[in-house]
Amino acid sequence: MKHNKLTALLLALAMVLALAACSNNQGQTQQSPSASPETSEPMETPAETPAEGVDLTILFEQDDDMLNTYSLLAVNPDAPFVDADGNAVSDVYVNTEGAAALINWMLSQEALDLAGNYGYEEYGEYLFYVLDDAPVSTAEIPAATEDTAVIRMSTTTSVNDSGLLGYLLPFFEEEYGYTVDVTSAGTGAAIANATYGNADLILVHSKSQEESFVADGYSYVLDGFEAERLPFLYNYFVLCGPSDDPAGVRDAATVKNAFALIAEGEYPFVSRGDASGTHTKEISLWPEELGITTEADSVADYAGWYNYSNAGMGVCLTMAEEMHAYILSDKATYLTFRANNGVME
Amino acid sequence: MTTALEQAIQLVLSGDDQLVNIISVTLQMSIPSSVISLLLGVPLGVLLAFCSFRGKEVLVILNRTLMGLPPVVCGLLCYMLFSGVGPFRHFRLMYTIPLMVIAQVILITPIVIGNMESFAQRITPAVRETAHGLGLGRGRIFLLLISETRYQVFSTYLLGFARSIAEVGAVSMVGGAIAYKTNVMTTAIMNYTNRGDFTLGVALGIILLAMSLVLNLTVSLIQGRLSR
Repeated sequence: MKHNKLTALLLALAMVLALAACSNNQGQTQQSPSASPETSEPMETPAETPAEGVDLTILFEQDDDMLNTYSLLAVNPDAPFVDADGNAVSDVYVNTEGAAALINWMLSQEALDLAGNYGYEEYGEYLFYVLDDAPVSTAEIPAATEDTAVIRMSTTTSVNDSGLLGYLLPFFEEEYGYTVDVTSAGTGAAIANATYGNADLILVHSKSQEESFVADGYSYVLDGFEAERLPFLYNYFVLCGPSDDPAGVRDAATVKNAFALIAEGEYPFVSRGDASGTHTKEISLWPEELGITTEADSVADYAGWYNYSNAGMGVCLTMAEEMHAYILSDKATYLTFRANNGVME
Repeated sequence: MTTALEQAIQLVLSGDDQLVNIISVTLQMSIPSSVISLLLGVPLGVLLAFCSFRGKEVLVILNRTLMGLPPVVCGLLCYMLFSGVGPFRHFRLMYTIPLMVIAQVILITPIVIGNMESFAQRITPAVRETAHGLGLGRGRIFLLLISETRYQVFSTYLLGFARSIAEVGAVSMVGGAIAYKTNVMTTAIMNYTNRGDFTLGVALGIILLAMSLVLNLTVSLIQGRLSR
């Protein structure tokens, strides 16, 4: 009996150590030596060698077609909600006052300034820019009451993963006493979540999907605003790829040309494939004659080079790194990915 | 070089409040869901082995099918039932720990039942024989059977707890992985991985394994005491 227990304990320890060892290896291959001066192994590593750290590089950015606009939409409590069988549901709970308070705060000059400066300290680059024509709110924000204290926000992975909300929301929560429950998914899923009555407001980045959300009556115009859809922040998507850039997209005139080059040479490309805002944007950049849509069967003929992955941004970036593939990413997640592997440009 | 193991140890030692919260939410979910499943599953499993009635085979097969219920299907079911437009919307349980517990109870109870049933099935004839010799009634025999399975109950509990702590499909769907509210170890690992932050993900994985190790040691100690 006693020996059995000892063996079990040893086995368990071995398991933990094995896991640690694996991560050790990963650290050695992926982390830049410059980030770890105390390492004892002598490593010949000129700073430019792309083999160390992340090879995936930003090859194309700042094209108008790569604009990534984030909007806020309040969920309409009188929206035509239907249950899974398509029957109308009338008494769906929506915290309209809480949602209005949060939207008014997010669009206050104070919050816009905070958002606009976010990320500069950590990454040396601004991750989000405030739109010139963002609606600015000066409305008084009511303090939370028992009924309005919990606000459910459905947003996209890219906003959540960039850490923007984790940085912004505590300012709001502490000052006015609300709690914001943030759930994140691809834009398609984030919007679906709201149509199932699980959100009070959404923060997403896919104009076409937002417009159909509004057209279907799921959003409404808040007091003091002119439209349902309130675009306020933007940044850029970036086209990343292997640093040796076999398709030569670095020299492309426009991002659409760059995508055409990838398709022409059938260079590996990783697509999110999850109806997210990034996916929707990517679809709009391919040459039209390829007929690529968000549906998986539209890319069945291109399976040799087009990887329809159905995964989050970080997972896809790793995949692209492993496959020496091209990928469209939001800049914030790419920078986090890159920073984590110890190499900053 | 900061390895994941060092980072895991640093994380634990620093008492990082997000980590403390993730562990506390994990336990607030896993302990109730595994205990409730055990309380439901043990009597049902033993009863299923003990009683003989028409259609019993059907129940056993049904239960074995439910043992293989994919967590995401269970999550989807709970999501549809409890979401803002679902029939149980008035409970307002979406994205809360209680709903995560409900989803896990649906997942784990069949496993507990199946495990207890197949064990009790084996010892029922012997127990019945002894009990008849002693002249015990049906109720007493059932109690005796339950007490005979107590050793098995512990390993079944561990199985249930392991399933609960390791499960990600259902809890991410009904819990929403809301930071400081419903984010458990597995969903946090998913989040970090999605962010490309693998080291922190592995660090959390090591902590998760270590927690499992501590629980296993504790339970096997109690189990050893009892069987002596």
